[in-house]
Amino acid sequence: MSSAFVSRLALPNPAAAVRRRFRAWWQGRLPRSDTLVLTQRNIYILPTRAGLMFAATLVVLLLASINYQLNLGYVLTFLLAGSGLVSMHVTHNTLRSLTLRLRPPAPVFADEAARLDIVLTSPGAARFGIGLKLLDAPAATLVWTDVPAGGQAGVQIGFVPGRRGWHEVPALGAETRFPLGLFRAWTVWRPAARLLAYPAPERPAAALPAMRAVPGGPSQARSADGGEIEGVRGYRRGDPLKLVFWKKAAKALESGGELVSRDTSASVQRQLWLDWQACGALAPEARLARLTAWTLAARRADAEFGLNLPGRTVEPGGGDLQRHRCLEALALWQP
Amino acid sequence: MIEALRLPRPLDHVGGWRNLPREARDTLFLLGVIAWTVLPHVGHLPVWCSLLTAAVLLWRAGLAIRNAALPGRWVVVAVLLVAIGLTFWSFRSVLGKEPGVTLAVVLMALKTLELRARRDAFVVFFLGFFIVLTHFLYSQSLAVAAAMLVSVWGLLTAVVLAHMPVGQPSLRQASALAARTALLGAPVMVLLFVLFPRIGPLWGVPQDEQAATGLSNTMRMGSMTEIAQDERIALRVRFEGTPPAPETLYFRGPVLTRFDGVEWRQAPLFAPRRAPNADLRVEGPGLAYEMTLEPQRLAALPLLEATGSAPEIEGYRVIPRDDLAWAAERPVYERLRFEARAHTRFRHGPTEADPDLRVHLQLPAGVNPRILAWTAELRRTPRLAGADARRLAGAVLQHIRVGGYTYTLAPGAYGRDAIDEFWLDRKEGFCEHFAASFVVVMRALGVPARVVTGFQGADPFPVDGYTVVRQSSAHAWAEYWQPGEGWLRADPTAMVAPERIVRGRVLTPAPGLVAGAIGAVNPALLSQLRAGWESINNRWNQWVLNYSRGQQFEVLKDLGFRSPSWEDLALLLVGALSTLALAGAAWAWWDRHRVDPWTRQREALLAALRSLGLAAQPHDPPRALAARVRARYGAAGAELAAAIDTLERQRYARAARPTPDRSLTRAFATHARRLASQTHA
Repeated sequence: MSSAFVSRLALPNPAAAVRRRFRAWWQGRLPRSDTLVLTQRNIYILPTRAGLMFAATLVVLLLASINYQLNLGYVLTFLLAGSGLVSMHVTHNTLRSLTLRLRPPAPVFADEAARLDIVLTSPGAARFGIGLKLLDAPAATLVWTDVPAGGQAGVQIGFVPGRRGWHEVPALGAETRFPLGLFRAWTVWRPAARLLAYPAPERPAAALPAMRAVPGGPSQARSADGGEIEGVRGYRRGDPLKLVFWKKAAKALESGGELVSRDTSASVQRQLWLDWQACGALAPEARLARLTAWTLAARRADAEFGLNLPGRTVEPGGGDLQRHRCLEALALWQP
Repeated sequence: MIEALRLPRPLDHVGGWRNLPREARDTLFLLGVIAWTVLPHVGHLPVWCSLLTAAVLLWRAGLAIRNAALPGRWVVVAVLLVAIGLTFWSFRSVLGKEPGVTLAVVLMALKTLELRARRDAFVVFFLGFFIVLTHFLYSQSLAVAAAMLVSVWGLLTAVVLAHMPVGQPSLRQASALAARTALLGAPVMVLLFVLFPRIGPLWGVPQDEQAATGLSNTMRMGSMTEIAQDERIALRVRFEGTPPAPETLYFRGPVLTRFDGVEWRQAPLFAPRRAPNADLRVEGPGLAYEMTLEPQRLAALPLLEATGSAPEIEGYRVIPRDDLAWAAERPVYERLRFEARAHTRFRHGPTEADPDLRVHLQLPAGVNPRILAWTAELRRTPRLAGADARRLAGAVLQHIRVGGYTYTLAPGAYGRDAIDEFWLDRKEGFCEHFAASFVVVMRALGVPARVVTGFQGADPFPVDGYTVVRQSSAHAWAEYWQPGEGWLRADPTAMVAPERIVRGRVLTPAPGLVAGAIGAVNPALLSQLRAGWESINNRWNQWVLNYSRGQQFEVLKDLGFRSPSWEDLALLLVGALSTLALAGAAWAWWDRHRVDPWTRQREALLAALRSLGLAAQPHDPPRALAARVRARYGAAGAELAAAIDTLERQRYARAARPTPDRSLTRAFATHARRLASQTHA
């Protein structure tokens, strides 16, 4: 307790600053990649405090064996020493040749936890007791997993982006102490993926502005959830799964083609303009928060909506894709 | 998703055990291992310690099953303080072997009440390893070794379990992983065991007198009874040629000359006035033998009578005494193995009267007055008028034979004038009573005499060529001086209990239940079993427990070192360990370049397609690649496309191959080259 208290009060520690600088420099050298194959080159291993304690125990056992001339004592000491040595290799092997892959992270709202989906693949034997966390997070946040022989395991790590916009996925750490806890092998991984954080929506949300008449809109409104298909187009990254036209997609895949999505851009009922100017005299970030909340409300109301920002306009549309377009525009808007 | 990807759990435990939550199960397992580790100590621990440990372990088990909270720290501290107080009360000290073991056991039990963090668990594991070692202070037998191997395995399993945080790994899985780690470490263990230089104790070890039974530098009435019931092996002898009959084997330990009425002591070792053993006169070629001597915690070396020249013992200077006994320069606490040569037919001591003999006539004043009177009466017997030492000794031995004396291991306690009481009243005694009384009588008669202690006799049949001498063969006999001949041996015990001399061992302990049952049904089988067991035990003793510096140097000689030294051992050890480490590094380097064969085949395919200028990405399935080949080349590319389809079938179809087809890998390159040349042409 007292030490934490002191460290908080302590003056900036030059050694800690140097260490931080060195760490930043070291991590900066690591190439970014969404797939990391662990080899000798990127696995580090050091004895843990328990390992040092174990070494001290071995010394005590050895001294006792020497002083009492116990040959079985020697056997015990050397058996434990051999096991400790082997455990170092086992610890290293637990990480080695493992493949870590980060699934493209889905966008989240600022201040909400983003889920980083990591898949661990073991080409060989089963691995036990592998923990992952954000590199800078405390050890208590480690998420543990085993990887079956020749199989995969998934791990989710939470990460809270603090502000809207693009975020680089922070450096991740994977570590293990399996089997005896005498050594800790770890790796530092800088994924290449970026994470989009939408602005945090206003809470409680202001009421939606009034709908505007749709000039030149289709005279007959179509039902949004109707069975009619407006058309098909190639699958675009970000299309929700329910938009995929599976019957046609299966045929297309058979012939080596690609997924096919429904094009629903025309099936709308109502139209709504979400306007920067309509937000009153709020600060820019607060306006973005309100527009975000409105976007969500408009999508929930299943309206066709457009977004009007200074220097950026999203043409009216509907559906989840439109929601994403608007939120992305809000996330990336710069004055 | 994660749940589905986890390993299936083997159903290897049943009922309640399986239904326990993971944490409770692991704790119960650890408590079981601790109980097993402590159990062999129950005989050495004070009763309160065993009870306290059992109570704490049971309490902890109850807490684990009920998933209840652990007691507060002050409870543990209070119990610990009480335990320290009890330890002091039991041993009058908290230092030393027995109090140390007691405290270690209590500490480990109490630490189980504090298993909060990973660090606490490690303290329990390391204390466990330490307690395993303490068992070897009491016994290094095969049985103890086997029991402790189980303990170490259990402790390692508990450590492994603690590092498998996911799901509910089965005990079988964890114990298999622990066993694998230990087995892979076994070569390192063997290497270190064989080559780690054996050095003597680094500092003095406090000896526990009560635990040591065996020969001693002094003798009191009754002190040998305890040894006589000790069936442990004292030494083993391997003779070159036929072993002599067990009854002729006298191993000479301390020679006791000074008697103060209660205790017999050795004469102090002054610089001898003449060369030691100068008076030894031997007959015959002698008998070469190799002796393995268990630690006697004495400087005295009980060599076979009469060994004339000093054996070479690694690490010890051997000093001859002028009474034909041999001693090391300092007490021996380790097993020794050495070679020597003895002459069973010999004479020794001065042949002429010598001032050194006077000390062998001294008797304490005012003690045992009645035996002096009895002796004076014997001297006056007409038939002994003018008799020499030999005839007097014969007369005294004759008296023992016919005087109504009984040989017994339980003669009861004797008072102040013990020799008087034994010789004239109770007449029940053990070898030391007979030898001491004989010497007192001879001295009273004016004949120089002394007590010799050591071992006499052996197990009737050698095991594996080794003649086994047990602590129970400890013996005391007498020597008297005959002018013109020197010292002559007299064994008064043989007069009353010849079987003690001939059979070597008089009293065998009652056999155990199983041994008794087998013995009743088939005595031959029992003796066979016993011989087999002794044979295994002997090998264990010879190869594991007796392995010492001498044997290390023999190993080095076998490896080609001409004059091995301590430095050679260290160099060899460092060299072997470095080689091992380098081999490990080489393997790791080779392993780094090892790629999954399917991946390698896939890379060959992608390279072949890229050589044709086709966009082939690592994530493209074979089917898509084949489609691209067909689209680009049509019929010309049919062969290559078919090969790619074959790859897909070989890898993913129901009858998939376990390993890639190498000819297919070559086919990719061949077809691609042909296609390239066709399009080029």
